[in-house]
Formats: sequence, C-alpha cells, structure tokens
Amino acid sequence: MTIRVFTFLIFEVLLFSTCPAFTQGKRDCNTDCSCTISGLVVDASTQEPIPYATVQIKNSEKGVMTNEAGEFQIKELCEKEYDISISHLGYKSFVHHHDIYHPDLIVKLATNDMILESIVIEGSTIETGLESLTESNLSGKELESIKTESLGDVLSNITGVSTLKTGQNVVKPIIHGLHGNRVLIINNGVRHEGQGWGQEHAPEIDAAMADNIALVKGAAAVKYGPDAMGGVIIINPPKMELSTGHLHGTAGVTAASNGRSVNADLLLQQGYRNFAWMGQVSGLYQGDLRTPDYMLTNTGARELSYMFGARFHHKQLDLNLLYSHVQQTLGILRGSVVGNLEDLDIALKADEPYFTRDFSYDINNPRQEVSHDQIRLKGHYNFNDHQLDFQYGFQANTRQEYDVRRGNNNDRPAIDLELFTHTLDLDWKHAPISDWSGTIGVQWLYQDNNNIPGTNTIPFVPNYNNNRFGLYITESRPVGNLEFEVGVRYDYQSNSVAGRDADNNVYRQDLNYQSVTGLVGINTVLGKNTSFRSNFGTAWRPPNIAELYSYGKHEFTIDFGLWRHTTNEFGTPQSISDVLDQDKKPVDNELGFKWVNTFNHTLKGRSLEITAHVNYLKGYLYSKPAGIAATVRGPFPYYVFDQTDAIFFGLDASYILQHSSLWESRVQGTYLQARDISNDDVFVGIPANKIGYKLSFMKPVFGLDQFSAALETNYTFRQYLAPRVITVAEINEANLNGEDLFSEDKSSFDFLPAPNGYLLMNLNLQGTLNQFVFGVQFKNLLNASYRDYTNRLRYFADETGFNMVISARYKF
Amino acid sequence: MTILKSNYLALLLLVTIGFMSSCSDDDAPEAENEEEVINEVTLTFTPAAGGSPLSFTYNDPDGEGTAAPEQDDIVLPANTIYSMSITFKNTVGTSNEDITEEVEEEGHEHQIFFGWTGALFSSPTGLGNIGAGNQDNPVNYQDTDTEGLPIGLETVWETAEATSGTFRIMLKHQPDIKTATSSSDDGESDIDLLWNIEIQ
Repeated sequence: MTIRVFTFLIFEVLLFSTCPAFTQGKRDCNTDCSCTISGLVVDASTQEPIPYATVQIKNSEKGVMTNEAGEFQIKELCEKEYDISISHLGYKSFVHHHDIYHPDLIVKLATNDMILESIVIEGSTIETGLESLTESNLSGKELESIKTESLGDVLSNITGVSTLKTGQNVVKPIIHGLHGNRVLIINNGVRHEGQGWGQEHAPEIDAAMADNIALVKGAAAVKYGPDAMGGVIIINPPKMELSTGHLHGTAGVTAASNGRSVNADLLLQQGYRNFAWMGQVSGLYQGDLRTPDYMLTNTGARELSYMFGARFHHKQLDLNLLYSHVQQTLGILRGSVVGNLEDLDIALKADEPYFTRDFSYDINNPRQEVSHDQIRLKGHYNFNDHQLDFQYGFQANTRQEYDVRRGNNNDRPAIDLELFTHTLDLDWKHAPISDWSGTIGVQWLYQDNNNIPGTNTIPFVPNYNNNRFGLYITESRPVGNLEFEVGVRYDYQSNSVAGRDADNNVYRQDLNYQSVTGLVGINTVLGKNTSFRSNFGTAWRPPNIAELYSYGKHEFTIDFGLWRHTTNEFGTPQSISDVLDQDKKPVDNELGFKWVNTFNHTLKGRSLEITAHVNYLKGYLYSKPAGIAATVRGPFPYYVFDQTDAIFFGLDASYILQHSSLWESRVQGTYLQARDISNDDVFVGIPANKIGYKLSFMKPVFGLDQFSAALETNYTFRQYLAPRVITVAEINEANLNGEDLFSEDKSSFDFLPAPNGYLLMNLNLQGTLNQFVFGVQFKNLLNASYRDYTNRLRYFADETGFNMVISARYKF
Repeated sequence: MTILKSNYLALLLLVTIGFMSSCSDDDAPEAENEEEVINEVTLTFTPAAGGSPLSFTYNDPDGEGTAAPEQDDIVLPANTIYSMSITFKNTVGTSNEDITEEVEEEGHEHQIFFGWTGALFSSPTGLGNIGAGNQDNPVNYQDTDTEGLPIGLETVWETAEATSGTFRIMLKHQPDIKTATSSSDDGESDIDLLWNIEIQ
C-alpha cells in the first residue's frame, strides 16, 4: 500500500520537477549573450576586500578588475560556465571552474607566504539551506589541529556540544543535552545509520576524513526526517574542485605521548576540465592510555579509514561518487567489568581500577570491532532557474562487541550485528514564485538489521526491517528586512521485527509510525553589524529497539524495555517473559518542540554570539530505576524504559576580542538545565555547565613563515542538578531488611554523587615553514586528576592525564 | 541533454523498484545456546559415612527477570562429615544447560569462596575466606586447577552442634587474575548467594 503511494509520489515529483524544464529557457544566454558572473574577492586571513584584483575568463580576452569594495562583474557572456582565474600581486592566483547557477561567489585569496590555498565559496554557506537555523562550523586550521581525535571529542570544541563517553575511545556527541538517536549525523551527505540505540555505540566515523563540520543547533527534522531532536551534525568530505591544474594533497603524521599513539593521514586530489578525483587514507595505532596516577589497562585503539571520490561535470549535470570505509577496534577499560553490586562497590572504593597492568598495545576483552562502509552517488542537474538534486546512499555497518566471558566464548562476540541501509533523496529547488523560493523533497530509507548467529547468548535486540518514506517542503520569502521561512514534512515508517525472548521463543511484530513535523523561522539583519535569527521547529523519532525490547543484564544494570515489563497491583514494574505490542501497551513517538534564538553582533575586532534554546519533549523515552531484582549474582537494582515529558533549556555564548593584530581573546560558556516535568525530577547524566577562556598569539617569529600559540583554560562545573545518591551499602542493607528503596520513591538515582568541577589547561603551538605545518600540543597541562560526569566509566577510573601531541603536515 | 535526463530518470526508477521488491518480513535470529545465564545452583551434601545425599537448590525461573527466586533452606544433621558438590545450570524457559563442566574446565579462571556465620562447622574453623586478605582462611577444598590452586566445586564440611545462621557462596571469574594470593575481591562475581542454614 505504502509502496504504491510512494511510487506515485516519486512519479509526481519527477513529473513535477521535469515539466517546467521544457517551458523555461527565457534566460538562455547561448543565443543573446546575456549571462553575467559577479562576485567578491577578499583576503583569506583578514576577510578584508581586495581592490584591483584581476578576474579573467581563461582562454579569452574577457577580464575585469575588482572595485574598491572587492566586487567584480563580468557581463555579456555567451556560455553558462567558465574557468576564471583570479590574481593579485602578493597573492596566490588560482583558477576556479564557475557556472552562472552560483550567483554569490566569494573568492578568498591567500597571500603568497601562507600555507593555505586560496578558496572559493559558492552560493549559500548554510548547510541546511535554512537561514533561520543556527549553525556553527569547524573547518580549516581549527579542525586540522584536532581531527586526529574521535569525532565526539572534535565536536565538543563547538559551544553547546559535550560528549557521552564510555572510556576514552567510545565517544558520542551530546547537543544541548540530547544524544544517540536524538542527534542526527549527516556524513558525506547521507544519514549515518549504525546501531545508535546503545549508550556505548559511538558513530563509526573518522573525523580525519572531514574537510569541514557544521552543527545545526535547531530541530531540523523538516529537511532530514526523524532523529533530529537535538540538532544535526553535518560532516563534509573534501570538495573535488575542477581545473586544479596539478596534483594537490596533504600528508600528516601525529604522535602522542599518552597512549604512545601514532596517527597518519594522506589526501590526494586533482581536477581536470570535466572530471576530478580524490583519495584519502588515515590510520591510528594507540596503546593503553594513562591517568596522572595509573595506567588504564586495555584502552588501546586501532583505526583504519579510506575514502575515494570522483566527480563528473557535464554542462548542467554534476555527478559525485564517493566510497568510504572505516574500521575500528576499540578497547574498553578492563577494570570496568563487574559481575554484581558488590563488585561495583569494590570498584567505587578502589584507589585504582583493579586489573591495572603496565603499558601495552594489546587490546583484549572487553572490546568493540566495528566497521562502516558507505557508497554514495549524488548529483545535481541545473535547469535555467531551478535545480534537481538527487542522492543514493548505501551503508553497511557491522558491530561486534566482545565481553569478558567463560572459556571459548571470549573468542565469540556477545553482540554481533549487521545493518544495511539504502537511502534515496530527491530535492527540487523550484524557481521563485512571487518572492517565495524553496525546496520540495522526498526521502526514502530501507534498512535490514540482522543478528549474526554464533554468539552463544540470546540476542540483545531483535532483527528488523525498516521502511521509511518522507516528503517535505520548505519555503522562504523576504518580509521587509526579514527573511521568513516555513516548512512542513510528513514521515511514514513501517518496521517488521522478529526476535527471541528469554526462552528462545520467536516473537514477531509489525510496527507503523507516522508523524508530521514543521518549522517556522526568521532571519533578520539589525543594522550593519548585528543579526538575529529565530527558529521554532518540531521533530520526532519512533522508539528504538532497545527502548522497546531490552531484557536483562547489560554491564552493571538490568534493563527492561517498554514491551518487556508490566506493572503489578502494587504499582511496581515487573518483567514478563512474553513480549507486549502496540495494542496491549501503546508507545507513542517522542516529539520535540525546539525554539532556538541566536543574536550575533560583530564589529571590527569584536564578535559576540549568544544562543538561547528551549526544547520541550513530549513522550521523552528514558530509563528509570524501578526496583530490586534478586538474581543468582545477588540483588540488583533494575531499570525500566518509560515515557515522560521533559524540558531542556540553556544558553551558549561566545565573545571574541582582537586586542591587536597579534593577540586575541575568546571567552565561551554553556549553561544547560534539564527537567522531568511529569515527575518533577532531574535526569541522570546531563552535561554540566562549562566556561572557557582562550588567549591566542600569532606572529611570524623564530624565522618561521607563521607562528601561533594558544593557551586554553576550561572550567567544568559540578552538575548541581544530579539526582539523589543511593550507595551500594544502602541498597544491600535495605534488601536485607526487606525494604525496597525504589518502589517507595521512583525518582532517579545514582551510585555516586556527581564529580567535582575541574580545571583543564591546554597549550597549542603551531608553526609553518614553506609547505610544512608543525604543531605541538600539551593537553591537560596541569596533569589534573578528574572525573567527568558524562563518562560512563567515571565509577571506575579518572580521566586521562597529561598528553603531548606532536604533529607535522605537508601540503602540496 | 534530454536523452541524458530520461536515461537517468529511468535508472532511478529502476533502482527504486528494485529495492521496493526487496522489502519483506524479517527472519528471526537463529536460536542461540544461552551460555551466559546461570539460574539454578544446587548444593549436594553427601555424608562421608554413607547414606543418602541432601540437596538444596536455588532456582530463579526467569533468570535475569524480576520474578522472585525459590531457595531451599539448608538443613543438616549435627556432627557429621559431608562432602559437598556444587552444580550450576541454566534452565530458563526450555533451556537445560549444565555450566558446571565449563567452570571445571576453566578451573584456572574460577574460584568459589565461602563465608558463614557463627559456629556452624567444626571443620573448617573460622568464618570462611570471603573478603580481601581472607583468602588463606581455612576451607577444605578437594579440587584443584591446572596450577594446583583450589576451585571449590568439591569441598568437605563437618557440622558442629545444633545452631543456625547463614551460608554464602561466591563464584568468582578471574581470567588472568587467579593466583595463590588472589581473593574474593578480584575478578567478576558470577554467583553470590546467601542461604539460611540450620544444623539440627
């Protein structure tokens, strides 16, 4: 039924989008030579306009100079695309393949003594195409110095992003307090689809492959579909430029003292008139990390990733093919394995994790072996005044998790899953209709998730197929000096699930979910230096497999999914051996309503940005303590998944002040509060508030072409909104006296109070000489011992201590 | 140009239709032999002088579920020497998996520790070997692993005069950890059970 509807819609959209092509042709400058190329030329480092730069159409007489404001315009062209060369004395001249479909050309010229290449920005720099959504970007030098870290750690450099960790290797990003299935990651243009349901399942993405990363802080569900509750992370590969003239690339190597790791990466790319290619490889070899006082045994990591791309350009059609592969072996602290509460109590009281050994590169159990392959074909076709974008993506994700088990089972993964995902996206940017410009798109996703047999344990999650279809429209128009945006989207998802309960009996279910989401927003310029954007958007996600079907012990908790427990006559949740369904126990979608406002004020040498956000979540899925289960391992508190209404609100702020051409200060801070409205309670694991100050210095000294130093100080506060603390001793004592601390008081709890606030200092030094960039970073300069509230291993060990990272990069 | 376009549209539709036909109900995962869960522990006391053995069982029918377990109280005649053997099983649902043998085979990774209250036994003396630093306290282990270290599946107990108290057994999994000096604080607990015990 849905398939028929879907095919019909595809047809509709295709017909709809191709019909106007035959009626257009008004502005076909092949006949009347009426095409124009215009743009702006600025200095890449100061962003100041460059007057009197030469802009020349290659292999022709046509050329102009930029005016005082750095602007140029070449008129009376008879073709729609050209190679243009831009040059000015003292700057690196370069050639760019340009077409008339990108009216807002900005050329950033790099000075001769800069290692940076000159770059071009075409059209909107806004990733989502939505002006009212707040975006933050990481790119260029800033990204280069950190891209050897895990993706989550890289992202945490953006205000408003923190990390949910399981040790040092498994790092998930948290945006405004939301993580996992509530954060959507768009990797190389494709929704990243992995086993995102577990807290210890980090996205299988290598940040070293990224050329730039954008973070959308709003609920951008209208354009992207489910999961974009907290925001969207957009990771872009290097752009494949045409007509580069020669082989370009970078080669880098990084070594770190903590973990004695080495990291190497290589990027090669070349562009011709109608074709460009790119190849990239990166690898990491890391041993055990250490805290200031002891080793973290079994925290080594291995990573290998590579990517190949090709771009074909043909008049109005641009095709882009990409293949990427990431594989990781991630060790998890051996001392974090506990059998029961008593073990946990011993671990909580120990000075150092048990099973601490001397440094080693070995990775034993517990460990994760994950891989992710992605093939993506995308293209766009330019009609005269509208454009069709299409994209097909295929992803294969494998995840094997090895626990400490008895005997030969150590060689078998306890979790072994394979997930295949196909995605198809079509976006049509229509020609403006009386001031309204916008995009209509359809998206289709098909998934197949399977347990690989041979784990010798009943699968933690069922097999499922997932079929999802989405249709959206976003429109914008100017209203006075406002840009007004509105959008709406409809999604339909059907899943067929087949799993095994604790008795090994098969259960089967078909689930259907649907939702309508919308957004409305404004972007306005207030005077010359100030802008304000405001966006209200809704988002949704269906419950994930863990929230519905979890059953039994996982690490040091026992969890029961929504359909694996009922409530007895005393109001206490009890697990059941059967599996419930939507009829017996309805579970609603999680709905988010997020309002984000950003105020930006930039004046010469000063820049202030403040983002205020509030997110109301209806039917927020979370796990709460429900009682004590008597097991063969002794008593355990058990948790059940439930739904409540929650509110998350906060502020991100940053202020940059240029003291002089040499010195710059940056202050940034985040404040976040989250509350369980229905139960008037707080949640466990909400990131604590942070404030940071960075002082940077930049000047060509020591005979270098350029030298920069930055001293960064960050203070993370104690999470003062942590739930009540119930110690293991209290649980055991209550259990012996026949009391249940969780049936009386259903509020959330933690075994330990939230850790104290901590101060971290980092020093970054970087120098460039000819085509080399050298860097030395000192992380945790004070070798501070601290624990982080959102690291799930904070019960067992401190965070890593001092680390010196040396890097060298060669660009050509 | 138009040819190019129609070709690509055809291809796109073909791809779409291809994937549509692959949407079918999912197959269930294959049945796995559950080797992680232990839900039944039996202590069998066999009188050294002959006579019928006495068995006491802890059984948690739903394994890791919340349903309450069934547990016998241990009742033993006074002043008698018993050899005790322990068996572990997974009997959740329709499973019937004996895990004792596995523990025995992996003896160099396992040790069972014992603790009790008061004067239940005339041998071993003391209160058992549970807790850091108590690993050398007397327990009459009758079995050893490949390294000559005790396991605890077979032990000997001599009951004292009539009294009552509690009896605790702990199975510790200690891969690469078990040594002559390792204690019940090392490794992971696979079993930790407290029994009521009466010596009559």
